Amino acid sequence: MTTERVLITGMGGELGTRVAQLIEQRSWAAEVVGVDFVPPRRRLRRAEFHRIDPRDRDRLATFVEGFAPSVVAHFGVYEPASRMSPLSAIERTELCTIATMSAAARGGNLAYVVVRSGLEVYGPLTLRASVPDEDVMPEPRTPYGRSLLEVESIVAGLRLRHGVPVCTLRYAPVVGPHVPSPVGRLLRLPVVPVPAFADPPFSLLHPDDAAEAMVAAIDRRYDGPLNVVGPGAATPWQSVRLGGRVPLPVAGPLWDVAARVVELAGAAIAPHVIEQLRHGRTGAGDRAVDALALRHLVPTQTVLRELFEWADVIPIPTSREQVA
Amino acid sequence: MNVSAADRERLDVDQIGRGVPLGAMLRRRFGGRYPIDAFGFDPQVVDLVTPLFTAAIRVDVEGGEHVPTAGAAVLVANRGFGIVEPAVLGIAVRRVASRRLRIVGAPAVPALGGLARRLGAISASAPDMRACLRAGNLVAVPLAPTWLRRGAGIPPRPLLQAMTTAPIVPVAVTPGGPFGLALAPWRVRFGPLVTLPDPYDPGDPLAAARFGEAVRDAVSDLLEQPIR
Repeated sequence: MTTERVLITGMGGELGTRVAQLIEQRSWAAEVVGVDFVPPRRRLRRAEFHRIDPRDRDRLATFVEGFAPSVVAHFGVYEPASRMSPLSAIERTELCTIATMSAAARGGNLAYVVVRSGLEVYGPLTLRASVPDEDVMPEPRTPYGRSLLEVESIVAGLRLRHGVPVCTLRYAPVVGPHVPSPVGRLLRLPVVPVPAFADPPFSLLHPDDAAEAMVAAIDRRYDGPLNVVGPGAATPWQSVRLGGRVPLPVAGPLWDVAARVVELAGAAIAPHVIEQLRHGRTGAGDRAVDALALRHLVPTQTVLRELFEWADVIPIPTSREQVA
Repeated sequence: MNVSAADRERLDVDQIGRGVPLGAMLRRRFGGRYPIDAFGFDPQVVDLVTPLFTAAIRVDVEGGEHVPTAGAAVLVANRGFGIVEPAVLGIAVRRVASRRLRIVGAPAVPALGGLARRLGAISASAPDMRACLRAGNLVAVPLAPTWLRRGAGIPPRPLLQAMTTAPIVPVAVTPGGPFGLALAPWRVRFGPLVTLPDPYDPGDPLAAARFGEAVRDAVSDLLEQPIR
Protein backbone atom coordinates (compact mmCIF):
# COMPACT_ATOMS: atom_id res chain seq x y z
CA MET A 1 0.00 0.00 0.00
CA THR A 2 1.69 3.23 -1.13
CA THR A 3 0.47 5.95 1.16
CA GLU A 4 3.39 7.70 2.79
CA ARG A 5 4.83 11.02 1.72
CA VAL A 6 8.42 10.82 2.95
CA LEU A 7 10.68 13.80 3.49
CA ILE A 8 14.43 13.20 3.96
CA THR A 9 16.46 16.12 5.26
CA GLY A 10 20.22 16.01 4.70
CA MET A 11 19.69 13.85 1.62
CA GLY A 12 22.88 15.11 -0.03
CA GLY A 13 25.09 13.42 2.57
CA GLU A 14 26.23 9.82 2.23
CA LEU A 15 23.83 8.57 4.92
CA GLY A 16 20.87 10.59 3.66
CA THR A 17 21.36 9.22 0.15
CA ARG A 18 21.60 5.63 1.38
CA VAL A 19 18.40 6.08 3.38
CA ALA A 20 16.69 7.49 0.27
CA GLN A 21 17.80 4.46 -1.77
CA LEU A 22 16.37 2.08 0.83
CA ILE A 23 13.09 3.97 1.21
CA GLU A 24 12.63 3.99 -2.59
CA GLN A 25 12.37 0.19 -2.39
CA ARG A 26 9.63 0.23 0.27
CA SER A 27 6.10 -0.38 -0.93
CA TRP A 28 4.66 2.08 1.59
CA ALA A 29 6.57 5.03 0.12
CA ALA A 30 4.30 6.89 -2.32
CA GLU A 31 6.53 9.94 -2.71
CA VAL A 32 10.13 10.42 -1.56
CA VAL A 33 11.47 13.96 -1.47
CA GLY A 34 14.77 15.19 -0.07
CA VAL A 35 16.41 18.49 0.73
CA ASP A 36 20.01 19.49 1.45
CA PHE A 37 22.51 22.19 0.55
CA VAL A 38 24.54 19.75 -1.58
CA PRO A 39 23.15 17.25 -4.11
CA PRO A 40 23.30 13.45 -3.61
CA ARG A 41 26.27 11.68 -5.16
CA ARG A 42 24.48 8.42 -5.95
CA ARG A 43 21.78 7.51 -8.42
CA LEU A 44 18.25 7.80 -7.07
CA ARG A 45 15.43 6.19 -9.02
CA ARG A 46 12.25 7.64 -7.57
CA ALA A 47 13.37 10.18 -5.00
CA GLU A 48 13.20 13.84 -5.91
CA PHE A 49 15.93 16.17 -4.64
CA HIS A 50 15.56 19.89 -3.90
CA ARG A 51 18.68 21.93 -3.26
CA ILE A 52 17.80 24.19 -0.33
CA ASP A 53 20.33 25.51 2.18
CA PRO A 54 18.94 25.21 5.74
CA ARG A 55 20.10 28.79 6.31
CA ASP A 56 17.41 29.86 3.84
CA ARG A 57 14.84 29.13 6.52
CA ASP A 58 11.78 30.62 4.85
CA ARG A 59 12.31 28.75 1.60
CA LEU A 60 12.85 25.48 3.46
CA ALA A 61 9.74 25.98 5.62
CA THR A 62 7.57 26.91 2.62
CA PHE A 63 8.74 23.86 0.70
CA VAL A 64 8.19 21.44 3.59
CA GLU A 65 4.75 22.84 4.43
CA GLY A 66 3.73 22.62 0.77
CA PHE A 67 4.88 19.00 0.54
CA ALA A 68 3.05 18.12 3.80
CA PRO A 69 5.05 14.96 4.64
CA SER A 70 3.55 12.10 6.63
CA VAL A 71 7.01 10.74 7.54
CA VAL A 72 10.15 12.79 8.19
CA ALA A 73 13.59 11.13 8.22
CA HIS A 74 15.74 13.88 9.69
CA PHE A 75 19.38 13.59 8.64
CA GLY A 76 19.83 17.36 8.59
CA VAL A 77 22.04 17.02 11.65
CA TYR A 78 25.53 18.12 10.69
CA GLU A 79 28.62 16.95 12.55
CA PRO A 80 31.20 19.66 13.27
CA ALA A 81 34.46 19.29 11.31
CA SER A 82 32.80 16.73 9.07
CA ARG A 83 31.71 18.69 6.02
CA MET A 84 31.83 22.22 7.46
CA SER A 85 33.19 24.29 10.31
CA PRO A 86 31.87 23.60 13.83
CA LEU A 87 29.91 26.87 14.07
CA SER A 88 28.35 26.46 10.65
CA ALA A 89 27.39 22.84 11.41
CA ILE A 90 25.61 23.75 14.63
CA GLU A 91 23.83 26.70 13.00
CA ARG A 92 22.63 24.61 10.03
CA THR A 93 21.51 21.78 12.33
CA GLU A 94 19.41 24.09 14.47
CA LEU A 95 17.87 25.99 11.55
CA CYS A 96 17.11 22.83 9.60
CA THR A 97 15.49 21.12 12.60
CA ILE A 98 13.30 24.05 13.64
CA ALA A 99 12.18 24.95 10.12
CA THR A 100 11.51 21.36 9.03
CA MET A 101 9.69 20.18 12.14
CA SER A 102 7.47 23.21 12.56
CA ALA A 103 6.57 23.27 8.84
CA ALA A 104 5.96 19.51 8.77
CA ALA A 105 3.56 19.85 11.71
CA ARG A 106 1.75 22.71 9.96
CA GLY A 107 1.40 20.55 6.84
CA GLY A 108 -1.21 18.50 8.69
CA ASN A 109 -0.24 14.97 7.55
CA LEU A 110 2.65 14.29 9.93
CA ALA A 111 2.41 10.79 11.44
CA TYR A 112 6.00 9.79 12.24
CA VAL A 113 9.45 11.34 12.73
CA VAL A 114 12.82 9.62 12.98
CA VAL A 115 15.89 11.67 13.83
CA ARG A 116 19.62 11.16 13.69
CA SER A 117 21.27 11.71 17.06
CA GLY A 118 24.44 10.30 18.60
CA LEU A 119 26.05 8.79 21.67
CA GLU A 120 27.65 12.22 22.14
CA VAL A 121 24.49 13.26 24.04
CA TYR A 122 25.58 11.13 27.01
CA GLY A 123 28.81 13.07 27.50
CA PRO A 124 32.10 11.47 28.57
CA LEU A 125 31.99 7.96 29.98
CA THR A 126 31.97 8.16 33.76
CA LEU A 127 31.35 6.02 36.79
CA ARG A 128 27.70 7.09 36.43
CA ALA A 129 27.51 4.86 33.35
CA SER A 130 30.41 3.82 31.18
CA VAL A 131 28.10 1.92 28.80
CA PRO A 132 24.93 4.05 28.93
CA ASP A 133 21.58 2.65 27.88
CA GLU A 134 18.64 4.76 26.75
CA ASP A 135 17.45 5.27 30.36
CA VAL A 136 20.60 7.20 31.33
CA MET A 137 20.05 10.96 31.51
CA PRO A 138 22.01 12.78 28.75
CA GLU A 139 24.72 15.16 30.01
CA PRO A 140 26.59 16.40 26.93
CA ARG A 141 29.81 18.35 27.46
CA THR A 142 30.71 19.24 23.86
CA PRO A 143 29.07 21.61 21.34
CA TYR A 144 28.08 18.67 19.09
CA GLY A 145 26.58 16.76 22.03
CA ARG A 146 24.59 19.82 23.09
CA SER A 147 23.47 20.37 19.49
CA LEU A 148 22.18 16.77 19.34
CA LEU A 149 20.33 17.17 22.63
CA GLU A 150 18.77 20.39 21.30
CA VAL A 151 17.53 18.48 18.23
CA GLU A 152 16.10 15.75 20.47
CA SER A 153 14.32 18.39 22.58
CA ILE A 154 12.82 20.07 19.51
CA VAL A 155 11.41 16.85 18.09
CA ALA A 156 10.20 15.79 21.55
CA GLY A 157 7.99 18.89 21.33
CA LEU A 158 6.23 17.31 18.35
CA ARG A 159 5.34 14.32 20.48
CA LEU A 160 4.07 16.53 23.30
CA ARG A 161 2.06 19.04 21.26
CA HIS A 162 0.91 16.94 18.31
CA GLY A 163 1.08 13.36 19.63
CA VAL A 164 3.43 12.34 16.80
CA PRO A 165 5.61 9.30 17.62
CA VAL A 166 9.29 10.22 17.44
CA CYS A 167 12.31 7.92 17.30
CA THR A 168 15.75 9.35 18.07
CA LEU A 169 18.54 7.11 16.86
CA ARG A 170 21.66 7.71 18.96
CA TYR A 171 24.34 6.48 16.59
CA ALA A 172 27.86 5.51 17.60
CA PRO A 173 30.30 7.56 15.47
CA VAL A 174 29.57 6.58 11.86
CA VAL A 175 32.81 5.76 10.09
CA GLY A 176 33.36 4.47 6.58
CA PRO A 177 35.63 5.07 3.62
CA HIS A 178 33.06 7.24 1.81
CA VAL A 179 31.61 9.02 4.83
CA PRO A 180 33.12 12.38 5.77
CA SER A 181 33.89 11.76 9.43
CA PRO A 182 36.39 13.62 11.64
CA VAL A 183 37.23 10.42 13.54
CA GLY A 184 37.87 8.46 10.36
CA ARG A 185 39.96 11.27 8.89
CA LEU A 186 42.02 11.52 12.08
CA LEU A 187 42.68 7.78 12.32
CA ARG A 188 43.91 7.69 8.72
CA LEU A 189 46.64 10.26 9.36
CA PRO A 190 50.19 8.83 9.37
CA VAL A 191 50.69 10.03 12.98
CA VAL A 192 47.68 9.81 15.29
CA PRO A 193 47.38 11.59 18.67
CA VAL A 194 46.39 9.13 21.43
CA PRO A 195 45.88 9.61 25.19
CA ALA A 196 49.19 9.16 27.00
CA PHE A 197 47.82 7.66 30.23
CA ALA A 198 44.60 5.99 29.15
CA ASP A 199 43.21 3.74 26.44
CA PRO A 200 39.42 3.94 26.72
CA PRO A 201 37.12 1.89 24.47
CA PHE A 202 34.97 3.41 21.76
CA SER A 203 32.42 1.83 19.43
CA LEU A 204 31.74 2.69 15.79
CA LEU A 205 28.87 2.15 13.39
CA HIS A 206 28.98 1.12 9.74
CA PRO A 207 27.16 3.57 7.38
CA ASP A 208 25.00 0.76 5.92
CA ASP A 209 23.83 -0.15 9.44
CA ALA A 210 23.04 3.50 10.22
CA ALA A 211 20.84 3.74 7.13
CA GLU A 212 19.25 0.32 7.76
CA ALA A 213 18.38 1.31 11.35
CA MET A 214 16.62 4.48 10.23
CA VAL A 215 14.47 2.68 7.67
CA ALA A 216 13.74 -0.14 10.14
CA ALA A 217 12.53 2.47 12.65
CA ILE A 218 10.08 3.81 10.04
CA ASP A 219 8.99 0.26 9.13
CA ARG A 220 8.20 -0.52 12.78
CA ARG A 221 7.15 2.99 13.90
CA TYR A 222 9.32 2.70 17.01
CA ASP A 223 8.65 5.51 19.49
CA GLY A 224 11.52 6.61 21.78
CA PRO A 225 15.32 6.79 21.84
CA LEU A 226 17.52 3.92 20.68
CA ASN A 227 21.29 3.48 20.81
CA VAL A 228 22.60 2.04 17.54
CA VAL A 229 26.10 0.72 18.13
CA GLY A 230 28.42 -1.64 16.26
CA PRO A 231 29.20 -4.73 18.40
CA GLY A 232 32.45 -4.73 20.34
CA ALA A 233 34.83 -1.82 20.70
CA ALA A 234 38.34 -0.66 19.95
CA THR A 235 40.76 1.65 21.74
CA PRO A 236 42.87 4.51 20.37
CA TRP A 237 46.17 2.64 20.82
CA GLN A 238 44.70 -0.49 19.27
CA SER A 239 43.35 1.48 16.30
CA VAL A 240 46.78 2.92 15.65
CA ARG A 241 48.32 -0.56 15.59
CA LEU A 242 45.48 -1.90 13.45
CA GLY A 243 46.06 0.81 10.87
CA GLY A 244 49.87 0.63 11.00
CA ARG A 245 50.02 4.28 12.09
CA VAL A 246 52.45 5.98 14.47
CA PRO A 247 50.99 6.88 17.91
CA LEU A 248 51.66 10.33 19.35
CA PRO A 249 50.96 10.26 23.12
CA VAL A 250 49.22 13.46 24.25
CA ALA A 251 48.14 14.56 27.73
CA GLY A 252 46.23 17.44 29.35
CA PRO A 253 46.47 20.86 27.68
CA LEU A 254 48.63 19.44 24.89
CA TRP A 255 45.41 18.19 23.26
CA ASP A 256 44.69 21.76 22.13
CA VAL A 257 48.14 21.98 20.54
CA ALA A 258 47.70 18.56 18.93
CA ALA A 259 44.29 19.61 17.56
CA ARG A 260 45.80 22.66 15.85
CA VAL A 261 48.72 20.69 14.39
CA VAL A 262 46.42 17.96 13.13
CA GLU A 263 44.12 20.55 11.57
CA LEU A 264 47.09 21.83 9.56
CA ALA A 265 47.66 18.24 8.42
CA GLY A 266 44.14 18.20 6.97
CA ALA A 267 42.01 16.58 9.69
CA ALA A 268 40.22 19.12 11.88
CA ILE A 269 39.48 17.72 15.36
CA ALA A 270 36.30 18.93 17.03
CA PRO A 271 35.94 18.76 20.85
CA HIS A 272 33.67 15.70 20.65
CA VAL A 273 36.43 13.79 18.85
CA ILE A 274 38.95 14.70 21.56
CA GLU A 275 36.37 13.61 24.15
CA GLN A 276 36.02 10.27 22.36
CA LEU A 277 39.77 9.66 22.31
CA ARG A 278 40.30 10.73 25.95
CA HIS A 279 37.22 9.26 27.64
CA GLY A 280 35.87 6.66 25.21
CA ARG A 281 32.41 6.43 23.64
CA THR A 282 30.27 3.32 23.85
CA GLY A 283 26.64 2.54 24.57
CA ALA A 284 24.33 -0.39 25.18
CA GLY A 285 22.75 -1.11 21.81
CA ASP A 286 20.79 -4.27 22.58
CA ARG A 287 17.40 -2.49 22.73
CA ALA A 288 17.78 -1.35 19.10
CA VAL A 289 18.89 -4.84 18.06
CA ASP A 290 15.66 -6.28 19.49
CA ALA A 291 13.28 -3.46 18.52
CA LEU A 292 14.54 -3.00 14.95
CA ALA A 293 15.74 -6.59 14.33
CA LEU A 294 19.29 -5.43 13.55
CA ARG A 295 20.79 -8.92 13.67
CA HIS A 296 23.82 -8.39 11.44
CA LEU A 297 25.46 -5.18 12.62
CA VAL A 298 29.06 -4.83 11.47
CA PRO A 299 31.47 -5.10 14.45
CA THR A 300 33.46 -2.01 15.40
CA GLN A 301 36.84 -3.52 14.56
CA THR A 302 35.59 -4.59 11.11
CA VAL A 303 34.47 -1.00 10.50
CA LEU A 304 37.99 0.14 11.43
CA ARG A 305 39.68 -2.42 9.18
CA GLU A 306 37.49 -1.37 6.26
CA LEU A 307 38.52 2.22 6.89
CA PHE A 308 42.21 1.35 6.84
CA GLU A 309 41.91 -0.94 3.81
CA TRP A 310 40.56 1.90 1.70
CA ALA A 311 43.34 3.07 -0.61
CA ASP A 312 45.10 6.35 0.15
CA VAL A 313 44.62 9.22 -2.26
CA ILE A 314 47.91 9.47 -4.13
CA PRO A 315 48.45 12.61 -6.22
CA ILE A 316 49.77 11.67 -9.69
CA PRO A 317 52.09 14.28 -11.18
CA THR A 318 50.76 15.32 -14.61
CA SER A 319 51.67 18.11 -16.97
CA ARG A 320 49.15 20.39 -18.71
CA GLU A 321 49.97 18.72 -22.03
CA GLN A 322 49.13 15.26 -20.66
CA VAL A 323 45.83 16.48 -19.29
CA ALA A 324 44.96 18.14 -22.58
CA MET B 1 28.74 -6.00 4.08
CA ASN B 2 29.81 -9.57 4.96
CA VAL B 3 31.18 -10.12 8.44
CA SER B 4 33.58 -13.04 8.70
CA ALA B 5 33.16 -15.93 11.13
CA ALA B 6 36.49 -14.93 12.70
CA ASP B 7 35.06 -11.49 13.47
CA ARG B 8 32.02 -13.05 15.15
CA GLU B 9 34.23 -15.41 17.17
CA ARG B 10 36.40 -12.55 18.37
CA LEU B 11 33.29 -10.86 19.81
CA ASP B 12 32.69 -13.64 22.34
CA VAL B 13 34.45 -12.36 25.44
CA ASP B 14 32.47 -14.61 27.81
CA GLN B 15 33.28 -18.19 26.86
CA ILE B 16 36.84 -19.49 26.89
CA GLY B 17 37.35 -20.92 23.41
CA ARG B 18 40.12 -23.02 21.98
CA GLY B 19 43.61 -21.90 22.96
CA VAL B 20 45.71 -19.77 20.66
CA PRO B 21 49.50 -20.41 20.49
CA LEU B 22 51.52 -17.74 22.27
CA GLY B 23 53.31 -16.68 19.07
CA ALA B 24 50.05 -16.14 17.20
CA MET B 25 48.61 -14.32 20.19
CA LEU B 26 51.56 -11.92 20.33
CA ARG B 27 51.38 -11.31 16.56
CA ARG B 28 47.70 -10.42 16.88
CA ARG B 29 48.53 -8.21 19.85
CA PHE B 30 51.10 -6.16 17.96
CA GLY B 31 48.82 -5.98 14.94
CA GLY B 32 45.93 -4.67 17.02
CA ARG B 33 43.79 -7.72 16.18
CA TYR B 34 42.37 -8.61 19.59
CA PRO B 35 38.86 -8.22 21.02
CA ILE B 36 37.80 -5.43 23.35
CA ASP B 37 34.26 -5.10 24.61
CA ALA B 38 32.31 -1.94 25.32
CA PHE B 39 33.43 -1.96 28.98
CA GLY B 40 37.10 -2.06 27.98
CA PHE B 41 37.50 -5.77 28.83
CA ASP B 42 40.48 -7.39 27.12
CA PRO B 43 40.04 -11.20 27.31
CA GLN B 44 43.40 -11.86 25.62
CA VAL B 45 45.27 -10.09 28.44
CA VAL B 46 43.23 -12.01 31.02
CA ASP B 47 44.05 -15.31 29.31
CA LEU B 48 47.74 -14.34 29.31
CA VAL B 49 47.96 -13.46 33.03
CA THR B 50 45.62 -16.16 34.38
CA PRO B 51 48.30 -18.91 34.46
CA LEU B 52 50.44 -16.64 36.67
CA PHE B 53 47.57 -16.14 39.14
CA THR B 54 46.66 -19.83 39.02
CA ALA B 55 50.25 -20.74 39.92
CA ALA B 56 50.39 -18.19 42.76
CA ILE B 57 46.95 -18.75 44.32
CA ARG B 58 45.67 -22.21 45.21
CA VAL B 59 41.88 -22.51 45.11
CA ASP B 60 39.52 -25.32 46.22
CA VAL B 61 36.03 -25.19 44.73
CA GLU B 62 32.75 -26.69 45.99
CA GLY B 63 29.32 -26.58 44.38
CA GLY B 64 30.60 -25.74 40.90
CA GLU B 65 27.47 -27.32 39.39
CA HIS B 66 25.49 -24.24 40.53
CA VAL B 67 27.39 -21.89 38.18
CA PRO B 68 25.57 -21.49 34.81
CA THR B 69 27.77 -22.46 31.87
CA ALA B 70 26.01 -19.99 29.54
CA GLY B 71 23.86 -16.89 29.77
CA ALA B 72 23.65 -13.99 32.18
CA ALA B 73 23.96 -14.67 35.91
CA VAL B 74 25.04 -12.84 39.05
CA LEU B 75 27.46 -14.27 41.61
CA VAL B 76 27.09 -12.54 44.98
CA ALA B 77 30.14 -13.08 47.16
CA ASN B 78 31.40 -11.98 50.56
CA ARG B 79 34.53 -9.85 50.71
CA GLY B 80 37.33 -9.30 53.20
CA PHE B 81 39.91 -6.82 52.01
CA GLY B 82 38.73 -7.32 48.44
CA ILE B 83 42.18 -7.45 46.85
CA VAL B 84 42.70 -11.16 46.19
CA GLU B 85 39.04 -12.25 46.12
CA PRO B 86 38.37 -11.16 42.50
CA ALA B 87 41.28 -13.27 41.25
CA VAL B 88 40.18 -16.24 43.41
CA LEU B 89 36.63 -16.04 42.07
CA GLY B 90 37.87 -15.67 38.50
CA ILE B 91 40.04 -18.80 38.83
CA ALA B 92 37.15 -20.78 40.36
CA VAL B 93 34.70 -19.77 37.62
CA ARG B 94 37.17 -20.63 34.85
CA ARG B 95 37.67 -24.03 36.41
CA VAL B 96 34.00 -25.01 36.85
CA ALA B 97 32.28 -23.17 33.97
CA SER B 98 35.02 -22.27 31.42
CA ARG B 99 33.81 -18.67 31.45
CA ARG B 100 35.44 -15.32 32.05
CA LEU B 101 34.14 -13.40 35.05
CA ARG B 102 33.18 -9.72 35.18
CA ILE B 103 33.52 -8.07 38.57
CA VAL B 104 31.62 -5.03 39.80
CA GLY B 105 33.74 -2.27 41.37
CA ALA B 106 36.23 -0.73 38.94
CA PRO B 107 38.09 1.93 40.96
CA ALA B 108 37.54 5.59 40.04
CA VAL B 109 41.28 6.20 39.63
CA PRO B 110 42.32 7.01 36.02
CA ALA B 111 45.17 4.58 35.29
CA LEU B 112 44.22 1.92 37.86
CA GLY B 113 40.56 2.03 36.78
CA GLY B 114 41.57 1.49 33.16
CA LEU B 115 43.75 -1.49 34.12
CA ALA B 116 40.96 -3.01 36.22
CA ARG B 117 38.53 -2.64 33.30
CA ARG B 118 41.04 -4.39 31.04
CA LEU B 119 40.96 -7.32 33.46
CA GLY B 120 37.15 -7.50 33.60
CA ALA B 121 35.98 -4.98 36.18
CA ILE B 122 32.92 -2.83 35.52
CA SER B 123 31.81 0.24 37.45
CA ALA B 124 29.37 -0.18 40.33
CA SER B 125 26.51 1.54 38.53
CA ALA B 126 23.09 0.13 37.72
CA PRO B 127 23.21 1.01 33.97
CA ASP B 128 26.55 -0.77 33.55
CA MET B 129 25.30 -3.76 35.52
CA ARG B 130 22.17 -3.95 33.34
CA ALA B 131 24.17 -3.64 30.13
CA CYS B 132 26.67 -6.29 31.22
CA LEU B 133 23.91 -8.75 32.13
CA ARG B 134 21.97 -8.08 28.93
CA ALA B 135 25.15 -8.94 27.04
CA GLY B 136 24.93 -12.41 28.65
CA ASN B 137 27.91 -12.11 31.01
CA LEU B 138 28.59 -13.73 34.35
CA VAL B 139 28.92 -10.83 36.80
CA ALA B 140 30.32 -11.02 40.35
CA VAL B 141 28.89 -8.55 42.85
CA PRO B 142 30.81 -8.24 46.12
CA LEU B 143 28.92 -7.58 49.34
CA ALA B 144 30.21 -4.80 51.61
CA PRO B 145 33.63 -5.62 53.14
CA THR B 146 33.76 -7.48 56.44
CA TRP B 147 37.30 -6.82 57.58
CA LEU B 148 37.28 -9.54 60.27
CA ARG B 149 35.57 -11.95 57.84
CA ARG B 150 32.64 -12.63 60.15
CA GLY B 151 29.48 -13.24 58.14
CA ALA B 152 28.34 -11.60 54.92
CA GLY B 153 28.34 -7.84 54.34
CA ILE B 154 25.49 -5.56 53.29
CA PRO B 155 24.28 -5.99 49.69
CA PRO B 156 24.88 -3.00 47.35
CA ARG B 157 21.45 -1.30 47.41
CA PRO B 158 21.80 0.71 44.14
CA LEU B 159 22.51 -2.49 42.19
CA LEU B 160 19.79 -4.70 43.64
CA GLN B 161 17.15 -3.99 41.01
CA ALA B 162 19.61 -4.62 38.19
CA MET B 163 20.73 -7.85 39.90
CA THR B 164 17.22 -9.31 39.95
CA THR B 165 17.07 -9.41 36.14
CA ALA B 166 19.28 -12.54 36.13
CA PRO B 167 19.70 -15.76 38.17
CA ILE B 168 21.58 -15.09 41.44
CA VAL B 169 24.13 -17.55 42.80
CA PRO B 170 25.49 -17.02 46.35
CA VAL B 171 29.21 -17.58 46.86
CA ALA B 172 31.31 -17.86 49.99
CA VAL B 173 35.01 -17.08 49.64
CA THR B 174 37.28 -17.93 52.56
CA PRO B 175 41.03 -17.37 52.66
CA GLY B 176 43.59 -20.09 53.26
CA GLY B 177 45.13 -18.27 56.21
CA PRO B 178 44.73 -15.21 58.42
CA PHE B 179 44.73 -11.82 56.59
CA GLY B 180 44.46 -13.60 53.27
CA LEU B 181 47.87 -15.27 53.56
CA ALA B 182 48.26 -18.26 51.25
CA LEU B 183 49.07 -20.78 54.01
CA ALA B 184 46.43 -23.16 52.64
CA PRO B 185 44.22 -23.05 49.52
CA TRP B 186 41.44 -20.46 49.31
CA ARG B 187 38.01 -22.01 49.41
CA VAL B 188 35.19 -21.00 47.08
CA ARG B 189 31.78 -22.48 47.79
CA PHE B 190 28.92 -21.88 45.33
CA GLY B 191 25.36 -22.30 46.60
CA PRO B 192 22.06 -23.05 44.83
CA LEU B 193 20.17 -20.22 43.08
CA VAL B 194 18.55 -17.71 45.38
CA THR B 195 14.79 -17.48 44.83
CA LEU B 196 11.83 -15.84 46.51
CA PRO B 197 8.92 -18.02 47.67
CA ASP B 198 6.26 -16.04 45.78
CA PRO B 199 6.16 -14.57 42.23
CA TYR B 200 7.74 -11.15 41.78
CA ASP B 201 8.31 -8.45 39.18
CA PRO B 202 12.04 -7.94 38.39
CA GLY B 203 11.50 -4.17 38.36
CA ASP B 204 9.86 -4.07 41.79
CA PRO B 205 12.08 -2.28 44.38
CA LEU B 206 10.49 -4.22 47.26
CA ALA B 207 11.25 -7.55 45.58
CA ALA B 208 14.81 -6.31 44.99
CA ALA B 209 15.20 -5.47 48.71
CA ARG B 210 13.86 -8.90 49.67
CA PHE B 211 16.32 -10.48 47.25
CA GLY B 212 19.11 -8.51 48.90
CA GLU B 213 18.27 -9.99 52.29
CA ALA B 214 17.81 -13.48 50.86
CA VAL B 215 21.20 -13.33 49.14
CA ARG B 216 22.93 -12.09 52.28
CA ASP B 217 21.39 -14.94 54.30
CA ALA B 218 22.41 -17.46 51.64
CA VAL B 219 26.04 -16.26 51.67
CA SER B 220 26.06 -16.31 55.50
CA ASP B 221 24.76 -19.90 55.48
CA LEU B 222 27.48 -20.93 53.05
CA LEU B 223 30.14 -19.31 55.24
CA GLU B 224 28.85 -21.13 58.33
CA GLN B 225 28.80 -24.55 56.70
CA PRO B 226 31.61 -26.80 58.02
CA ILE B 227 34.59 -27.42 55.78
CA ARG B 228 34.44 -30.81 54.11
